[in-house]
Amino acid sequence: MLFKAIYLIPLLPAIGVLINGLLGSRFSNRVVAFIACTSVGCSLILATGTLYQMLIADPAHRVVTSSLYRWISDGSLQITVGFLVDPLAMAMIMVVTFVGFVIHFYSIGYMEGDSGYRRYFVCLNLFIFFMLVLVMGDNLILTFVGWEGVGLCSYLLIGHWYEKKSASDAGRKAFVVNRVGDFGFMLGILLVIVTFETVNFVELKTILAGSHGVATATLVTISLLLFTGAVGKSAQFPLHVWLPDAMEGPTPVSALIHAATMVNAGVYFMCRIFPFLQQAEYVLPVIAVVGLLTAVYAACCAVGQKDIKKVLAYSTISQIGYMFMAVGCGIYIAGMFHLVAHGVFKGLLFLGSGAVIHAVHGEQDIANMGGLIRSIPVAAVTFLIGLLALAGIFPLAGFFSKDAIIMGGYERFGLVYWLFGFGGAILTALYCGKLFGIAFLGKTNFTGQVHKPNFFFNAPLVILAFCAVVLGILGLPMFTKDTYFAFFMGSSFDLGAGGHAAHGHGMSLSLEIAFTLIVSLFAIAAIVLALVAYSRHRKKMVDLEARHAGLMNFLFKGFMFDDLYDMLWVRPLKWISFYSNAVCDHKIVDGAVNGTGKVAMEAGKTLARIQAGYVRHYAVSIVFGIFVLVGITVMFFF
Amino acid sequence: MGFYHFLSLGIILFTIGAVGFLIRNNTIVLLMSVELMLNSVNLIFVAFSRYLYGTEGQIYVFIIMTIAAAEVAVGLAIVISIYRLFGTLDISKIKLLKG
Repeated sequence: MLFKAIYLIPLLPAIGVLINGLLGSRFSNRVVAFIACTSVGCSLILATGTLYQMLIADPAHRVVTSSLYRWISDGSLQITVGFLVDPLAMAMIMVVTFVGFVIHFYSIGYMEGDSGYRRYFVCLNLFIFFMLVLVMGDNLILTFVGWEGVGLCSYLLIGHWYEKKSASDAGRKAFVVNRVGDFGFMLGILLVIVTFETVNFVELKTILAGSHGVATATLVTISLLLFTGAVGKSAQFPLHVWLPDAMEGPTPVSALIHAATMVNAGVYFMCRIFPFLQQAEYVLPVIAVVGLLTAVYAACCAVGQKDIKKVLAYSTISQIGYMFMAVGCGIYIAGMFHLVAHGVFKGLLFLGSGAVIHAVHGEQDIANMGGLIRSIPVAAVTFLIGLLALAGIFPLAGFFSKDAIIMGGYERFGLVYWLFGFGGAILTALYCGKLFGIAFLGKTNFTGQVHKPNFFFNAPLVILAFCAVVLGILGLPMFTKDTYFAFFMGSSFDLGAGGHAAHGHGMSLSLEIAFTLIVSLFAIAAIVLALVAYSRHRKKMVDLEARHAGLMNFLFKGFMFDDLYDMLWVRPLKWISFYSNAVCDHKIVDGAVNGTGKVAMEAGKTLARIQAGYVRHYAVSIVFGIFVLVGITVMFFF
Repeated sequence: MGFYHFLSLGIILFTIGAVGFLIRNNTIVLLMSVELMLNSVNLIFVAFSRYLYGTEGQIYVFIIMTIAAAEVAVGLAIVISIYRLFGTLDISKIKLLKG
């Protein structure tokens, strides 16, 4: 018997929001933080309990549904507020609650002394609530509610320091760019409603499994529209421009929202609607290409970044690209595995960067750090573990997940696709090595007293680093499709055979081992090379970068996409707005309104001349009027 | 003495009142002219009432007399106010409503 009260998992953070939001002004900061952490902690305990029960349950009975009430009822379209927990959702819930809890704990120390302390924790709790609604919603509409809710929290938290113009601008940019994707998402939902007359995932799955007779073109359209939403939320090319700017928010926010959970919602959602993708031809290759493009592109950009958080931001875009590659290759179990692993080690990296930034008094340019391993060893070592996991070095979590994706790419699309994925992995290793080499090794460029991180910083780092190491176990046994994680996920209701690799290019075990060795060895070589180059021979590397300043600037600016969009969208829009203000608003609308008033005034002035003010005149006009009225009456009626 | 005599007298009285209202300048005389018009109408009402053997006309007469009494009370008060305000009762000198 599975745990039935799953609605409690999202409910607890919501209660935390209510308590802190309504009564929080009477509490001290310590109490506010305690309530926020406790609510998420209880959710984590409940989620762990559910996971345990799911693990001991029979694989055929691992889907829990809980319908709370009917929300919208219109003929055959019934939309309920209900939750659905299957192994797919469970994996995501564990990431959200676990990383969420750790980051709540970390925030206690990080946000200390901030004037918006309570606002911060309310938003953070609200985010966890919406994220859980997104993950657990049993229909498209409820998922969309969570989807928009996390977007709102993301906006609020990016702009947490709203007095800073760059921060409020970044929040707005994130919101506006997401609107583009959400527009597609909404159209997709409408098309699903029109076509299937239901939005419930289980019912949709049942319909799609049978002979539904829906045209492939419709399914392709639905899939592409929903994919647009995922592209926006997960910051994939070409809607990736908001994520690097989102680093204006507090670092724990970057860790939670812009690395571990919200930006992965797109990948999760693609897994959720995989029955659609499976039946809609042409869509999976599109997803695979978008993912590959993003993965390689963002990895290139990450090499050219100077800000420690921006390196990680581009790296996040790149890693999510890998997840989309997995979805596009049809092996979304590997994508989900990478999502879980990435959630942990990227959360770790962001928290580590937060500790670094805190230690060097808000400095974010890696060129001004250097040699920090001597002053903050715990943060440095855990950061290194995170970077190794990110670079996919054996035996950390990232190795298993990324290896599976790159292999899947070879099996599905062949050697060229594999080469690009491989190139992305090498670039990942390169920027990891560069980042660690510049910031933590070599001689220090930071002048001043280093702020030692306290317990609130170190404990989450150590916990996450431990998880980043041991999560690799889920990827065992190697070189098979039946890893422990896949075994668990395989019992999700909508997975079935499609979860495993399509056997387009069947490959032998020896070939697979050879490929894995190639990727691993090259990645290790790249990371060591970058480490040595940027720590021992930093001067030479700086000279080298200075000689290719144009290229580095091109990479630094993310291939100038901001400028391109500025030219394509922002400036024409501004021009149109200016034009409508000057002509449409001032001339046409104001002209009509003021013109009406003017006409009335002129008419009044003309008629006022009749009013002489003499009583006699009024009397004469009355008498005259009577004559006229009587005359008319007589003329017409007698 | 028939119906037409009364009717003619009423019309003559009304005309005197109306013309008086139009050509005289003294406010009190204007008030008197208004009263004259009201009473000429009363006369015609009574004449018709007798001629048609009905009582409705006489009922109207009582209503008009009541209103006329009230109107005179208000009218005289206004006349006093006008005199206090302008120092004259010459209606041709007062034109506050000029547009």
